[in-house]
Amino acid sequence: MTLRARVSTHLGTLHLDCDVVANAGVTVAVLGPNGAGKTTLLRVIAGLVPVGEGHVEVDGVVFDDSATGAHMTPEARRVGFVFQDHGLFPHLSVLDNVAFGLRARGLERRVANARAHVWLERVELGAYASSRPSALSGGQAQRAALARVLVTDPQALLLDEPLAAVDASGRLALRRALREHLGGFPGVRLLITHDPLEAASLAERVVVLEDGRVTQEGSFTDVTSRPRSPWIATMAGLNLLRGSVGGTSFTIDGGSTLVVATDVTGPALATIHPRAVALYRTAPEGSPRNVFKLGVAGIDPEGDRWRIRLAGTIPLVAEVTPAAAAALRLAEGGDVFAVVKATEVDVYSI
Amino acid sequence: MTGGVTRRPLIGLVLPAAVAVLFIAVPLIGLLAHVDWSTLPAQLVSTDVLTALRLSLECSIIAVAISLVIGVPLAYLLARSSLPGRRVIRGLVTLPLVLPPVVGGIALQTALGTTTPIGTVLQHFGVVLPFSTAGAAIAEAFVAFPFLVITLEAGLRQRDEHFEEVAATLGARPWRRFWRVTIPLAAPSIAAGAALCWARALGEFGATITFAGSYPGTTETLPIAAYSSFEGSGNVATAVTLSLVLLTISILVLVVLRDRWLGALR
Repeated sequence: MTLRARVSTHLGTLHLDCDVVANAGVTVAVLGPNGAGKTTLLRVIAGLVPVGEGHVEVDGVVFDDSATGAHMTPEARRVGFVFQDHGLFPHLSVLDNVAFGLRARGLERRVANARAHVWLERVELGAYASSRPSALSGGQAQRAALARVLVTDPQALLLDEPLAAVDASGRLALRRALREHLGGFPGVRLLITHDPLEAASLAERVVVLEDGRVTQEGSFTDVTSRPRSPWIATMAGLNLLRGSVGGTSFTIDGGSTLVVATDVTGPALATIHPRAVALYRTAPEGSPRNVFKLGVAGIDPEGDRWRIRLAGTIPLVAEVTPAAAAALRLAEGGDVFAVVKATEVDVYSI
Repeated sequence: MTGGVTRRPLIGLVLPAAVAVLFIAVPLIGLLAHVDWSTLPAQLVSTDVLTALRLSLECSIIAVAISLVIGVPLAYLLARSSLPGRRVIRGLVTLPLVLPPVVGGIALQTALGTTTPIGTVLQHFGVVLPFSTAGAAIAEAFVAFPFLVITLEAGLRQRDEHFEEVAATLGARPWRRFWRVTIPLAAPSIAAGAALCWARALGEFGATITFAGSYPGTTETLPIAAYSSFEGSGNVATAVTLSLVLLTISILVLVVLRDRWLGALR
């Protein structure tokens, strides 16, 4: 079973133009900054927003096709949508909420309630069956919302930032419940998040969506170790440079050159871990080949590693200990020499 | 919270403000002063009062029922659809709020009177609206139903369609979403709108007397009975008793709706 969504639509200032494929049995995280069009993509798949130009299908069943004009109503799609704010009906008990989808599909109350109860037990909310949703904590409510869609046995599960509105205390139990039930769900699993941690802990595959377009896909490790966009690089805490390679020389778009050890040629991206950027007060002795005199643009103390933002011929972030920062007498506006070993530059072609 | 600057009121405003309070309070006190408390219980259960009360309840409840049946769908469409000419329709529906009720009564008479096309058709089915109880109910509904529509539309607008969308993704078709989600969530607005509508229908005078007249037991509702006994037979005691009944009901409606209407001003 596979979900295919090719979407091209305008919504306000957003132009969503992407092609996403998700296979059953693999949790796919759509990762991207706020406003990238992630929620719109899910809403198109659920039938809540028109596809514009494009085609959406699950398991060969066409949901939308702009070429033929085909459009299936949201209620006809067998898609389970977990909303960011849980969306439990405030006027119904928790049990009636979970049974709602079954009742809507024509099941008798007794049968629907019995099945709903089973799922409430699975998400450890059996004791809250007759409570109102307002009696639940954020994490509990989101677990009830998860049970409410899973009980209907959908073909595809769409989760819109399920952890975002939940406070820290409820997050752990919810993440555990999500991991458990996503793992046990045989259909398509599409999870939307702007939090790389969430993607890392819940998804096997990551699709990066930025400004309405897919900028990268692959495993979480692939994506974060070899980011193809500044946003992912920042998320992963890496320096990302774009340029092109000729021999051992990587020319950054904009002029400066780095010496690298690679067999890649042509247009490429380079990442440097901030810890691999060494800082010196004076130009170092010997002959390190990548030396840049840069200005200190900012200092972000983060525990026992301080992140030093450098500006000049190449923009870099360096990570040093507070003691080293003190010894270097680093101050915003001052100059410093940054040294990067050729072997510490990871180069990959675009 | 009032700020420190406005905490100390302008003395010049206190006098007119006090007059305003008295302006409302004095007539009501006058009414209460005229109540003959010793004969009140007997007055309340007298045939005249009971007949008018029963008729008023009957007509006003029918008026609320009519308003619910036609007003809820209209409020829903005004709030949730891109109905063409929505603004014009909303203006039209609001018109009875500002229209002199007597104009409403004359308009009803010219549209539904026995000699009009609609009146003729109705008569064919044995229905005569003018000067009948049904006519009184129709006149009350005409004046009162905007209260329901406006209250409910505002209530529906307060919530977006999120829960309807949730219901759709769970497989609920449009009618199920309407009955199981939209209506229950709008219940407080429907109740408030119906209460206001009922209070207005109960007090309706101008349109009712113009369209339905004042026949005791048939169209003479509480306000009309109060007016007739006061003006016609000069029976001030009965008029005061009937007024007291209407005043009590009005206060009760205010108390029931206090959180909705007065709460918003706190």
